[in-house]
Amino acid sequence: MSSWDRRQFLKASCGTAAAWSALSARKVRGANEKIIVGCMGLGGRGTYLAEAFAHRDDVEIAYLCDTDKRRFARAREAVEETQDRSPKLTQDFRQILDDKNVDVLINATPDHWHGLGTILACQAGKDVYVEKPMSHNLWEGRQMIEAARKYKRIVQVGTQSRSGPYMAQAREVIRSGKLGDVHIVRVFNMMQHPMQRIGPDQPEPDGLAYDMWCGPAAKLPYNPSRRWLNFFEYSCGPIPGDAVHQYDLARFLMGDPAYPKSVSGRSAIEALKDGRDCPDTQFALFEYDDFTLLFEGALWTPYMKKIPGSIRDSDQFPDWPFCSTKIEVCGTKGFLWIGRHGGGWQMVDSDSRIVQSIYGRQADKEHQQNFIDCIRSRKPANADVEQGHYSTLPFHLANIMGRMDNAPLLFDGKTETITNLPEANRYLRRTYRKPWIVPKQV
Amino acid sequence: MHRLIYMLMGVLVVLLSTTQASWLDLGRVVVKQETTELGGVRVVIEYELAEGKATTAHPAYVFVRYSSDEGETWSLLLPECLRGNGFALVDKPGQKQIFFWGATETQSVDPKQLKFHVRALRIARIPAGRFEPRAVPGNGCDTSRIHEPVTTVPEFYLADTETTVAMYTDYLNETGTNGLGYNTRMARPDRCGIVQEGEPGNYKYTVTPGRENYPVTYVSWYDAMSFAAWCGLRLPVEAEWEKAYRGGTYLDGDQSKQIPNPIPDRQYPWGDEAPNADGIFRCNFDGQEDGFSHTSPVGHFTKFNSPYGVCDLAGNVAEWTLDWYSTTHHAGLDGFRILRGGSWMAPPEACDAITAATALPIKESSIMGFRLAK
Repeated sequence: MSSWDRRQFLKASCGTAAAWSALSARKVRGANEKIIVGCMGLGGRGTYLAEAFAHRDDVEIAYLCDTDKRRFARAREAVEETQDRSPKLTQDFRQILDDKNVDVLINATPDHWHGLGTILACQAGKDVYVEKPMSHNLWEGRQMIEAARKYKRIVQVGTQSRSGPYMAQAREVIRSGKLGDVHIVRVFNMMQHPMQRIGPDQPEPDGLAYDMWCGPAAKLPYNPSRRWLNFFEYSCGPIPGDAVHQYDLARFLMGDPAYPKSVSGRSAIEALKDGRDCPDTQFALFEYDDFTLLFEGALWTPYMKKIPGSIRDSDQFPDWPFCSTKIEVCGTKGFLWIGRHGGGWQMVDSDSRIVQSIYGRQADKEHQQNFIDCIRSRKPANADVEQGHYSTLPFHLANIMGRMDNAPLLFDGKTETITNLPEANRYLRRTYRKPWIVPKQV
Repeated sequence: MHRLIYMLMGVLVVLLSTTQASWLDLGRVVVKQETTELGGVRVVIEYELAEGKATTAHPAYVFVRYSSDEGETWSLLLPECLRGNGFALVDKPGQKQIFFWGATETQSVDPKQLKFHVRALRIARIPAGRFEPRAVPGNGCDTSRIHEPVTTVPEFYLADTETTVAMYTDYLNETGTNGLGYNTRMARPDRCGIVQEGEPGNYKYTVTPGRENYPVTYVSWYDAMSFAAWCGLRLPVEAEWEKAYRGGTYLDGDQSKQIPNPIPDRQYPWGDEAPNADGIFRCNFDGQEDGFSHTSPVGHFTKFNSPYGVCDLAGNVAEWTLDWYSTTHHAGLDGFRILRGGSWMAPPEACDAITAATALPIKESSIMGFRLAK
């Protein structure tokens, strides 16, 4: 970016809002009316969200849903401890969608259920809080936007750091020009994952609706040691699944540009050759109109550390060189280190001195509050589905690059297609298993 | 009676220990002090362990705590400090004695001021040897761990029952005068039943009548660890827990190999029948049809014990273990711990031998409790 274009920044920031101004809510809950919520997916994150929303006075959790009945107890107990009414338990999320009293679906399923679960919820008139990465494939992400817009639904993606006040301050620092012209943004996701050891297939256990768990994905023989996160059938990969937090922040900091024009680099399985098909290494260069974004992701870097909880919620900074989830913003006058999930940020001037330091805090509560506020106001949420799409899309492209022998890809945002390698477009959309097909017309 | 003992034996009776509900009843415990010629003051604790209270398979675990400041603070007398036949694992009934020579080392100005509490619980012996672990990843919540199943565990002991409200209340009254180890939800009479009264620094705890024998709940992993250390015990590791649930390949252990386990890969402690098969309710799971809408008294389902006579491993409360849980996303960061056994809120199939749950160690829940191991 030759210089920070304030008009462009404002345009990017407000574009979504402008689009939303034409929308009117079909149903707006009154300020004193409780918002009725159904939770789909009761793993660690889903249980956390159920409990967190149950703690709110203005929310009632009416349903807890998981394909595995074994997951019910922990979430149910957490909810019952905080609200008077017991939630209904179901293994079929359509029961939630069929209930006209339900306002919101929280979708905290594995990746392969994010898209269709959200689209069906929008069609049923529910607002949606969907966990990241919001889509299994690029085309599906666009369909989610279409559904949200068509049915005038609030769809918030679970990239909660976007709602952190410290991030807004960092964005303002960049916008003000204190860093000079920003040409390069580096996003990191350097983790350590274990090798999986795939054992023999097993009978489907009692209490698990395995067909429903598979949903739009192929129904492979049940094998719990085959970790779904490592396979494209169910996932867009363990690196994107986590890194989308930082990527979303990087876009936020840079004024929310929509599309990269190209991606080049390398997606590969370098270290964890354990039967997975999702990469354990992704080094990708994304070319935006005004800057270049370098993404470095790996699953075999034990010396890189996630920001510990003790730092996330206190006046401390991570050890930046070895921070696995940092963002680096490189300007002509200065430099920013930024940590997700409350890591805070520090600005360095041209003499390599730290000249400003802002501590951060985790922003889950702010993000949830924003969602509730938007349900009532019908204004777009901080991490609106469209922003979620633009933050997830680059990872879909990096994955496709890897599946095309790491050929550089040129991307056309208007059509959301790859222009230089037409055969790569077959990876834009998955094969859906009946009856769980994302429709072309949502 | 105190004086009679004093007159007859020429020693000083210091205190008769109290016994609390849910601890194993040791009957009348007499604590005396004697002056020895060379060893200084010797404390002698005597009790009679009644027939049936202890066997080789189910010994009594006896531990002693003492106070040298009129009951203000209490400490565990480590087994290494004791002699006699009546402490740690006691596997035969009869007259028991515990000798303690360290009275002059307890910082008490006057050894006569020493107070002792003697408590015991029943604990099952799990012989060393192989078993068939089936806690494969994915059957519970842990879909990520590289599972290196432990197939052989050394001899260990696991409490016959889950730790009860009365036991935990007893603990709180010794250690919780500042409120440590207690949270207000424990007062819920339907789910726990421990009431705190008084002011900080002087808190007292009472059991809601009738709740003595129910499992304690709303205890964090740290609470459970503290209680275990207070007893001189620990929590079981996950492999131990599962072996106690299924039984080893040989129920008498690999040393003798005389009693093969008829169902070594059993799904439930009693076998493979579902907890509610044929209208028979074998443990406390979700719903009221088993007779309990919340927790049930420990030992209620003894007909459906594990092969070692351990009760309520399935259902009632999920039990904290020592094991860490790690996910690929949170390895080494969040410190989740593993719980086993399902609960009164879990569906029957979640009370099986393979389902695991995870929770942060600070979590306090009405479906979570613990059981002691040695």
